[in-house]
Amino acid sequence: MKRSTQIGLAAAGVLLVATAWSLTGDDSDESLVYNSLGECQSGGQLSLQQCETAFSEATAARLQDAPKYRSQGECEAQYGANGCSTANIGGAQFFIPALAGFMLARGLSGSAQAQPLLPPTTAACPPGSPQPECQQARSSSSGSSGGSGSPYGSSSRSRAYSTTSGRGLTAAFAGGARSASVRTSSVSSRGGFGSIARSFSSHSSS
Amino acid sequence: MRRVAIAPRPDWIQQVERLGFAFHTIDGETYWDESAAFAFTLEEIERDIEAPSEVIEQLCFAFIEKALASEQILTQLAIPAQHWDYIRDSWQRGERNLYGRLDLAYDGRGPAKVLEYNADTPTALFESSVVQWDWLEQGMARGVLPRGADQFNSLHERLIAAFQGLREPSPYRLHLTCVEGSAEDKGTVDYLADCAIQAELDVRFSYIEEIGLLADGRFCDGANQPIETLFKLYPWEWMFREQYGAALAGSRCQFIEPPWKALLSNKGLLAYLWEMEPGHPNLLPAFFEGDPRCATLAARHVRKPLYSREGANVTLLERGKVLDSDDGPYGAEGYVLQDAATNLFSEDGKYAVLGSWLVASQPCGLCLREDASPITKNTSRFLPHFIEP
Repeated sequence: MKRSTQIGLAAAGVLLVATAWSLTGDDSDESLVYNSLGECQSGGQLSLQQCETAFSEATAARLQDAPKYRSQGECEAQYGANGCSTANIGGAQFFIPALAGFMLARGLSGSAQAQPLLPPTTAACPPGSPQPECQQARSSSSGSSGGSGSPYGSSSRSRAYSTTSGRGLTAAFAGGARSASVRTSSVSSRGGFGSIARSFSSHSSS
Repeated sequence: MRRVAIAPRPDWIQQVERLGFAFHTIDGETYWDESAAFAFTLEEIERDIEAPSEVIEQLCFAFIEKALASEQILTQLAIPAQHWDYIRDSWQRGERNLYGRLDLAYDGRGPAKVLEYNADTPTALFESSVVQWDWLEQGMARGVLPRGADQFNSLHERLIAAFQGLREPSPYRLHLTCVEGSAEDKGTVDYLADCAIQAELDVRFSYIEEIGLLADGRFCDGANQPIETLFKLYPWEWMFREQYGAALAGSRCQFIEPPWKALLSNKGLLAYLWEMEPGHPNLLPAFFEGDPRCATLAARHVRKPLYSREGANVTLLERGKVLDSDDGPYGAEGYVLQDAATNLFSEDGKYAVLGSWLVASQPCGLCLREDASPITKNTSRFLPHFIEP
């Protein structure tokens, strides 16, 4: 896919998400991604029945392929708080990462199985990653910035996933402005830029 | 490449305004025009626009190396000599760039031709990145665009990633500036500020007229806070010549775009690229005015001032006769003559120019502007595009 997967605008307070997007880990491997069965069914790319099939395939594959943990703590250490749920497999209780979404190959006439998408792992969230899925351990930072009273707002969201094999998939962005303390120094002059724009009353951009 | 009529959204004004797009209408004239759109094949996008843009960017880097080693070139580009070292330093330090827009002539037949490179202060960014993206999504949802359509437009995510990588360590404090009184410039800067916030930067804004100079040599914003990193939607050639030009080298400020972009936003670039790669499929013959080789240009050619923006002072000539021109304040520094493109997309008396976006030197987006004349001016209209499934 050649376009952004989603667009968040802090100032306008909107988050736009592409109805479906391919994953660019391998460009030749065009895929559809949905976060829920409902999103698939309202997306229009697949029939209701195809969506249900894909969803149940992904659900089954998650139970089979997702990493299994004996304790909630171990699982959440990998997938973050609220990133796991219990599963009863072969009579034993395990903690496995939650189903965050599912993806399937586009145009492969339904022969390929839908794949489950899991919450991002710590490996998919490098230090400093701005994605909220990666910030569960951190306190969220937000605040307004100074300047000429421009209230650049802050919050926004993002989607990051991992696959059952541990590969990270991310739709970048999000965050909040952070205020910083600033040292001041005495001002010796002002207004040394902008004179040519004034004299030309012309466009300074193109 | 096709131009297709598409019914505008009945509530398109509300739809674009919900995104914060304030300049869809400029001076009472439609600027955002969704009554038609341009359809491309994926092959056209990748083979004819994306790949050549990357090639041209690399050629531009080779030109910078050449120019910085040549007083003759820097002189011909009308770069003030007192700033040569400053520009050299910014290039040798590897100061990263944020974005630029290569303007191309292309009609779907044969290779795209570079008209110019808006490497320093390009606008039309927000509408390219966000408004046309949203138009595509809504068009597919409404059923007026084919499902599975796409767009050459990952600008938004690339800009956020680029901001994170512009300076180490990140996050850092970023100031942004532009002139007061231009809704288009302020809209562009506001959008970049939004991207920078999402890159977790500490973002401040001041109009360029508010910028001050501290006793220690650093620039400061309207609240007297020192400026360490400044995005400026304001041309380098003006900054070099203004009062604070002399303070640039001692300001310890990282500028975005970096000073070396001054070599690329200059129309003299077109003549040097042609000299470096004569016959390159994506270049048009171009020479400095006065160069005897101008006699080899086509009868129909264009005269462009070295410093010109939004088509100002550009003249289209045929056998010495003026066919089209746009008035403006530029030209004192000299001119470049360039063959008129013969592959400008034209339909019903309208002409479209493609803008190929680069973020951090990677091609990642496309915009189209259409005008009633072959010179795209600041009166042109923005039309969205899509890639056919």
